[in-house]
Amino acid sequence: MILLIQYTLLFASVLLLVALGGCFSEHSGVINIGLEGIMVFGALGGALVMRYLPGGTSAVVIVCLCVCAAMLAGMIYSLLLAVAAVNFKADQTLVGTAMNLLGTAAATVIVKALNTAANPDNPSATIQYVNERKAFLMFDNLEFSWLMPLTLVLLILAYTVLYKTRFGLRLQACGEHPQAAASVGINVYKMRYAGVMTSGLLGGLGGLAYITAGVSEWKFENGVAGFGFLALAVMIFGGWKPFRIALAALLFGFFRSLSNVYTGFDILNQLNLPGTVYNMMPYIISLIVLILFSKNSAAPKAEGIPYDQGSR
Amino acid sequence: MENGQREQGGSEYAVEMLHITKRFPGIIANDDITLQLRKGEIHALLGENGAGKSTLMSVLFGLYQPEEGEIRINGKKVHINDPNDANDLGIGMVHQHFKLVECFTVLDNIILGVEPVSKLGFLKKAEARQRLIELSRKYGLSVDPDARISDITVGMQQRTEILKMLYRENDILIFDEPTAVLTPQEIEELMQIMKNLAAEGKSILFISHKLAEIMAVADRCSVLRKGKYIGTVNTKDTTVDELSAMMVGRNVNFHVEKEPRTPGKVILKVEGMTVASRMHKNNAVKNVSFEVREGEIVCIAGIDGNGQTEFVYGLSGLEPLVSGKITLGGKDVSKTAIRERSILGMSHIPEDRHKHGLVLDYTLEDNIVLQRYFEPDYTKAGFLRRKNIRSYAEKLIEQYDIRSGQGPATIARSMSGGNQQKAIVAREIDKDPSLLIAVQPTRGLDVGAIEYIHKQLVAHRDAGKAVLLVSLEMDEVLDVSDRILVMYEGEIVAELDPKTTTPEEMGLYMAGAKRKEM
Amino acid sequence: MEKKISFLKKPAVQTLIASLLCILLGLLVGFIVLLIINPSGAWNAMSTIMRNFWSFSSARGQIKNFGNTLAKTAPLLMCSLSVLFAYKVGLFNIGAAGQYVAGVGVGLYFAIGLQMPWWVSLIAGTLAGALLGALSGILKAYRNVNEVISCIMLNWISLYLVNTLLAPYMDITMSETWSLKKFYPSAVLPSLGLESLLNNHQYVTLAIPLAILVAVAVWVLLSKTRLGYELKATGLNKNAAKYCGMRDRFNIVLTMAIAGALAGMGAGMFYLTDMIKWPSTVTAVPAMGFNGIAAAFLGGLHPIGAVFSSFFIQHITDGGSFMEKTYPSEIAGLISSVIIYMCAFVLFFRQIMNRPKRHEKVKGGNIK
Repeated sequence: MILLIQYTLLFASVLLLVALGGCFSEHSGVINIGLEGIMVFGALGGALVMRYLPGGTSAVVIVCLCVCAAMLAGMIYSLLLAVAAVNFKADQTLVGTAMNLLGTAAATVIVKALNTAANPDNPSATIQYVNERKAFLMFDNLEFSWLMPLTLVLLILAYTVLYKTRFGLRLQACGEHPQAAASVGINVYKMRYAGVMTSGLLGGLGGLAYITAGVSEWKFENGVAGFGFLALAVMIFGGWKPFRIALAALLFGFFRSLSNVYTGFDILNQLNLPGTVYNMMPYIISLIVLILFSKNSAAPKAEGIPYDQGSR
Repeated sequence: MENGQREQGGSEYAVEMLHITKRFPGIIANDDITLQLRKGEIHALLGENGAGKSTLMSVLFGLYQPEEGEIRINGKKVHINDPNDANDLGIGMVHQHFKLVECFTVLDNIILGVEPVSKLGFLKKAEARQRLIELSRKYGLSVDPDARISDITVGMQQRTEILKMLYRENDILIFDEPTAVLTPQEIEELMQIMKNLAAEGKSILFISHKLAEIMAVADRCSVLRKGKYIGTVNTKDTTVDELSAMMVGRNVNFHVEKEPRTPGKVILKVEGMTVASRMHKNNAVKNVSFEVREGEIVCIAGIDGNGQTEFVYGLSGLEPLVSGKITLGGKDVSKTAIRERSILGMSHIPEDRHKHGLVLDYTLEDNIVLQRYFEPDYTKAGFLRRKNIRSYAEKLIEQYDIRSGQGPATIARSMSGGNQQKAIVAREIDKDPSLLIAVQPTRGLDVGAIEYIHKQLVAHRDAGKAVLLVSLEMDEVLDVSDRILVMYEGEIVAELDPKTTTPEEMGLYMAGAKRKEM
Repeated sequence: MEKKISFLKKPAVQTLIASLLCILLGLLVGFIVLLIINPSGAWNAMSTIMRNFWSFSSARGQIKNFGNTLAKTAPLLMCSLSVLFAYKVGLFNIGAAGQYVAGVGVGLYFAIGLQMPWWVSLIAGTLAGALLGALSGILKAYRNVNEVISCIMLNWISLYLVNTLLAPYMDITMSETWSLKKFYPSAVLPSLGLESLLNNHQYVTLAIPLAILVAVAVWVLLSKTRLGYELKATGLNKNAAKYCGMRDRFNIVLTMAIAGALAGMGAGMFYLTDMIKWPSTVTAVPAMGFNGIAAAFLGGLHPIGAVFSSFFIQHITDGGSFMEKTYPSEIAGLISSVIIYMCAFVLFFRQIMNRPKRHEKVKGGNIK
């Protein structure tokens, strides 16, 4: 049971971070399919810091540096989307897909190159961080990461920024009706950059949270196994609203962890369902939500539509 | 106003746009135009579509930089590089299509861009709401600050736009075609609001092509035609006829030459047609019955938004009927598919040529066969007969004088609006339909194209076919039709004879002030 | 308005230039990365990628690897056709990946589970893909669900379903599905004598000419037929299609079904050669469908262009695996993902070259 809660919270915090990232991007009017790639880069940033920090660095420093590195890596990577979608009015789905492919390929190349350079007999794409990872744990023998309370803080922050500040109001205006925003002097391009980069920041951190969730090494060839897409589902299920996204993340995290640990529960064993059912559940649920509520969707109205200053 | 006092500066003008010239490749949109707006006056800017009004306003808002000329605000020469500069100079505008965020509240929309915030960037909404309530009381503009834009009426949305300008302490207010979307009562209210604002010292520029409204509310009126400045007159010293002549360049004789004709047998018979609204829960068209005969042009007149769109959707099959019966040439087509109705002799020139009328990224020829590509002449065994399509397109292009860059292979998007419309008219009329439904066929076109299309409609009637014209333009209704049906709130409230009725009488029915028992 | 179109304004020329530019930029990025990793062998590594099978000294090795590349090009081409077909009709089929997975699952299930001959399995896989595609189409047409989102969800749903479906047919010792060649030879695609052309290459089958034939068929369908005319009209302007009496919703469903069928068939063309097997634990949607997006855009969204672009992408991917061990083989993946990223700019680039004169745009805006 404690295992289930543990995993649920771990996965939920990952999903929540990434979905909040997606939420900021979409509220600014840019669909971010590339969350998966952003997560990989965030994870890479964090993992590299863990790898190259000298042993014996204090836990606080490790955590802070990793978090900063992951956010920074995610943010820089998200610029690929911002430039293409905002300045060049590119097809956002195409760019996102390219970013996902590029994320895994580039991260693998980088890690392999580093590994081979350090030891010519090690051409793997794996980074190990057995000791460093311990810095993230709040308790000695429980899988509760410091990233969880950080996620909670970021959730509250995200809500406050979106609904209580000038920035949030303007950001949402750009996602709903960019021409209206522009007519009152808001720089839509800048706001969309801000939205996409915030999503890079949160997505990158989500990537770090994912590779430190219960494992001590990461094979970058595997990317992040669809968590970026799952986070999109969380965001849709959460109706683009931070607190509902948090609930959705808990629910989806719960299913995800059930697929890992369901064999430990007698009742679930008796149901005799294959583990894949629990994996599928989140996607099926969000599809159903889409089917039921698509007619009055809460999605930002202008999302996915490039904004052109010339057209009014 | 303190503001006004402070910036009085000695000039009698709030805005002066002097000798503005703005060129685009191949066209001079504004050719040496001068516009002077006095402080505290209501000044109308009159001109047809394409006369250069929008360009001139874009110059004023810094969206375009003029090649020549200068702008002075309160007597001071200024450079306006973007809408922010215009806003800083106290210029505000109510756009024809409101710039409101639908899912935001009225208050959020009003403060957007000029939000009062604490040092940390948090919104101070209570303060903003207080100011909004004061403003709304002062000018008699009632709004609910917490209602979402998507839930309120068009009139209240417009008041929100006006309050947006007042909240920004703008002294120069521009209204772009503000009455197009309003009901007659709301128009009355707006006129009063504009007068109040002017009395409070605001300077108002009122862009319109509705002469009656200009005469009713404006002090002076400047006229543009085809990018050129024609002149400025005091409305007190002029007449509707004179303004009209200035606008179109001659004493227009809109009258369409046509011989009287006796209608033949009934082509279209509609009984008790009811169509649901796509916007609200109630029905947009309620229990409408009428007939259209061979050799007559029947016109559905009315103010925009009284159910005409849904009426046409119901007739053409784009929307299912809630109840009622449509008979075309003796056959019940109430539940018949669109394609079938078309084959049975119904043609439809749609209201919105970009939404329904054309596949803009298709070539002209592909658009011309849009209603008959499936006929054996153009399809054989599932394959298109390109040669036949090309020669048919060439025939229509010649016959209807459709002008385009590369003939049949031109992409429709790159054609001018008038020629796009001609292509649709050609396509629909050349099908030789027994019933032609033409919805606002001349919208947004220049005078020449309008005359041409009117002639086509009359020719079709003279060929012994039935024509149903849906129009918002009173002149068009009176000139072209043989019989007028007035539609008000989804019902036909009067049948009038264009020879005996007057615009005033029609106006009363259109505004719902009067109705006949039908 | 000038009637003559200059050479550079011809759409085909523009497409070709744009695609070559993308390739060049992709290769440049790849080369820079190689240089950073180890400058001394970078040029060699790059030429290995570019030469792929030609980097082998023996004719035997060349032919063998040429055959491998061809065999893998067939499914990639099918996925790219799937993407471009939907894109021509205004839909972004990011679901090619999932439809491909469905094709694998059902194809192998028919081959192994039901012991059906190759052609039944191929058709079954095709239909599975079509069904999944149609589902996204139905959601789009009748419930207004964005096809990109529904496809993403369905990609994962189909992945997990296929894992479950194929679970009983695993060769435990190899952790993958049973070998068709060894146990179910009737389910293997026939080679039609093509193998003898390539030194009895065991994986060179019917799939290769069939894929090319399908590409031609897609081209004919889109540009010459009434159905293509209707589908494109629906994709470009749904309202106009409805206005002129086309079955707008049905057309959307049909488009997605055809797109899905193409991807599902591609899966059959690959897995029924026995060149590849479905592993027992698959945690990520195979990249084939996504690479199909790359090939579709690189080929200028033209079916015949896709034949070349698919081959090219497969060519450099295989070439990547022959580099010296100091260089990670994923460089090839990096290059092709940079290429698709660049493709996003192609549309912009072409728009600029073809942009109508400014005043025409302004006029168009006024009328609305």
